[in-house]
Amino acid sequence: MTERISFESAQKKALDTARTRLLVGGALMAAAFLVIGVRLVDVTLFGESGPSRLTSARNIAVETQMDRADIVDRNGVLLATSLTTASLYGNPRKIFDPQAAARALVSVLPELSEAEVAGQLSSDREFVWLSRNLTPRQHYEVNRLGIPGFDFRHEQRRVYPLGRLTAHIVGFSSIDNDGLAGIEKSFDAALSERRKPVMLSIDVRVQQILRRELAAQIEKFRAIGGSGIVLDVRTGEIVSLVSLPDFDPNEVGNVPDEARFNRSTLGTYELGSVFKIFNHAIALETGAANLASRYDARKPIRVARFRITDFHPENRWLTVPEIFTYSSNIGSAKIALDIGSAAQRKFLSDLGLLRRSSVELPERARPIYPATWREINTMTIAYGHGIAVSPLHAATAVAAVVNGGILYPATLIRRSEVPADGKRVISAQTSENMRKLLRMAVENGTGRNANAPGYLVGGKTGTAEKQVDGRYKRNALISSFIGVFPMNAPRYVVMVHLDEPKGIKESYGYATAGWTAAPVVGRVISLIAPLFGIAPVDESAAEIRRALTVNVTAPRARGRGIATN
Amino acid sequence: MSRVEEFGSSELSLREKLIHLNWEMVAMITLIAGIGFAMLFSAANGDMSPWASRQMVRFGIGVVLMLVIAVIDIRFWLKVSYALYGISLILLATVEVMGSVGMGAQRWLDLTVIQLQPSETMKIALVIALARYFHGLEADDAGRARYLIVPLILITAPMALVLRQPDLGTAGVLGLIGITMLWLAGARVWQFMLVGGAAIAAVPIGWQFLHGYQKQRLLTFLNPENDPLGAGYHIMQSKIALGSGGMFGKGFLSGTQSHLNFLPEKQTDFIFTMLAEEFGLIGGTGLVALYALLIGYCIYIAFRCRSQFARLLAMGLVANFFLYVFINIAMVMGLVPVVGVPLPLISHGGTAMLTVLIGFGLVMSCWLHRDIYINRRGAA
Repeated sequence: MTERISFESAQKKALDTARTRLLVGGALMAAAFLVIGVRLVDVTLFGESGPSRLTSARNIAVETQMDRADIVDRNGVLLATSLTTASLYGNPRKIFDPQAAARALVSVLPELSEAEVAGQLSSDREFVWLSRNLTPRQHYEVNRLGIPGFDFRHEQRRVYPLGRLTAHIVGFSSIDNDGLAGIEKSFDAALSERRKPVMLSIDVRVQQILRRELAAQIEKFRAIGGSGIVLDVRTGEIVSLVSLPDFDPNEVGNVPDEARFNRSTLGTYELGSVFKIFNHAIALETGAANLASRYDARKPIRVARFRITDFHPENRWLTVPEIFTYSSNIGSAKIALDIGSAAQRKFLSDLGLLRRSSVELPERARPIYPATWREINTMTIAYGHGIAVSPLHAATAVAAVVNGGILYPATLIRRSEVPADGKRVISAQTSENMRKLLRMAVENGTGRNANAPGYLVGGKTGTAEKQVDGRYKRNALISSFIGVFPMNAPRYVVMVHLDEPKGIKESYGYATAGWTAAPVVGRVISLIAPLFGIAPVDESAAEIRRALTVNVTAPRARGRGIATN
Repeated sequence: MSRVEEFGSSELSLREKLIHLNWEMVAMITLIAGIGFAMLFSAANGDMSPWASRQMVRFGIGVVLMLVIAVIDIRFWLKVSYALYGISLILLATVEVMGSVGMGAQRWLDLTVIQLQPSETMKIALVIALARYFHGLEADDAGRARYLIVPLILITAPMALVLRQPDLGTAGVLGLIGITMLWLAGARVWQFMLVGGAAIAAVPIGWQFLHGYQKQRLLTFLNPENDPLGAGYHIMQSKIALGSGGMFGKGFLSGTQSHLNFLPEKQTDFIFTMLAEEFGLIGGTGLVALYALLIGYCIYIAFRCRSQFARLLAMGLVANFFLYVFINIAMVMGLVPVVGVPLPLISHGGTAMLTVLIGFGLVMSCWLHRDIYINRRGAA
């Protein structure tokens, strides 16, 4: 009985315990609900509404990233600009299946390698670049894949809308926007720090004409390359600078070195008879000779193992203007002997021909000239051998010879006014005489093919054999022409050179400057003069003839002034 | 029901059972499910497909199943309790061998007709089995340590299988259900402290066995701002959405965070966030209150049960339901780590809906048979 009672009391006790515990359980649940309720009030009413601090931090980062400044030509035409593009990166830690992700990605970006991408995505890193600078369409396609772990970072991509046209001037920059060549490199810091565009002195219209004409001539004469320069003689501004072959700065990945080489500023060449301009200018300036002086050009000159000859010998005494017009090497060498080594060297130095050009390009050549300046050197330098300069050197110096005698450093940056940094190198009188000689050379001499009727073109040819491994190669020529127009009041120097042109039937097999480079200059002048507002004049008008005729007893041209050298 | 007590009879006919069924409970369940349909409709940007319509069909099937289970005699459930547990355990083990991998973890068993998640049915089976075990003990025995060996095995066996899948959240829920059952059955307080101490000691060891993403989730829980674009993304977005709802919400179909897809998994685990964004604090507390009412009602049922089996069964099932609700809502508000626990009756998903309704069916069965005396071996 007692057992029964104790059993029942135990059972009752157990039931009490069970019910108590049940109530405690219910109370715990109620407490939990209370916690949820409080938390709900907290997050809904006092929670994180609006954009989180992270999104705002991201916006600040985007805003502070400055665009690299544009590069424009002298008229504001865009040459280089920055576009915001999306670059794709992957976070391998978020990618479940690298193989599938790689396959999907390659299906929209076929230029990528599936194996390579899968390898990248299998790495243990949190950030791998997959493809930089996607087009908007590619960006859209990748987004449409909807693969977590692929994300984009906005980047600035450098774009060169005119492509090849100004490649050697503007240069290019790396994918990380570091300038690697041209203006992009020399103005790297300025471009990345400022927002205002850099305005160049280049005129893309002139650039386009010069490049087209030069390219056509290179193809016609099967030359391996060439260069062209249009320079404002009154300011030193480079209006056009062409070097061929060139490249597309938008895709510099596999451009051969040959195409990256800037022949107009980095290439140095023995320019041949073009140097007679300087030789005559120095002679007239120093008084070593005057326009009436005569020199014996009947026999070649022998100096040591060298023999100086004329290309088409006149075999007579020649006046100074005749030596220039017929491009007599013998006469020029003899003039140089009268000038003397010291004076020659001083004037060439004054003309900037013995130092690196001042142009704002990283690709600038240092001229090559003899360390010890012997008499033989003086004689050969008179007609442009034994000294190698870049075409830009020559064009800049010629500008000083014709503009009244003041040398302006060549520049690629647009100048608003006549620069103050000009330096007088020869007298105005010498400059005037040189203009007459240059006009004569085109009217009657070796540069007749450079004539552009009405624009009073003056100029000088130069054909030099290329030195290969220290020896001159007879059939590898540097054919150049430096033109100036209009000769009565010079405005622009137009220089063209062709590298290794080959003679063709039309030129009777000649590849000399008068046949190859001179016609380009003539055509370019007739095309660009209207752009500069230079009107053609009547070349036979009395005042023009008076102004451009050598006023000593005019040496009558004998026979035909064949393109001699 | 006064009539039943009056005559001392506890046996009811089917018709009487249907009359005495907790229809108010059915109404509450239907109301909550209705809110769920509306949210799924909104999650699909105002479309019945793909979620709302399917959810309605499942609910219909589930309610019928619930009512059938409710009217079946509770002694039947007592008899088959260990069998149910065994079957569930076998299914769980089968998943290990041939389960299909869904969402990165092996949790689904493809039965061709319906994809079953045995870990969900296991929760109910565990409650039934533990209720059966403690029902069979003498009143005092539940407090004795040697009688706790079997229930501990019953609890840890499915936990171990679920952990291997790996599903940390479900394993934790199973453990909590087990602890609740032990507590209700009358285990001693010092025993809980012992188990609790052992569990804390096991944490560093258990850490070694966690998957990388599980460690990540726990660390992210501790500081979600650490990795806002990665593992903390869910919680950050969820909190932003909750905060953007304010007091009255942005209005039905107008939750920007959810509709602009900032909120991931909005139709399943994060559906409460969407509700709070669209209906604000009022809507959120309203739903929580509905859940609390339903749970309170079930606790009342458990309290009224005469037999230990029915009481433990009802309370265990309520605890299971409560854990779903609490963990899910606490998770989206950043109170507990992100574990894959759905919001019962609302989140899109078949297994959860069915198991919850089966659970309520059993609770109703407890109610209908609350006064039946059942001896320790299961006979009336």
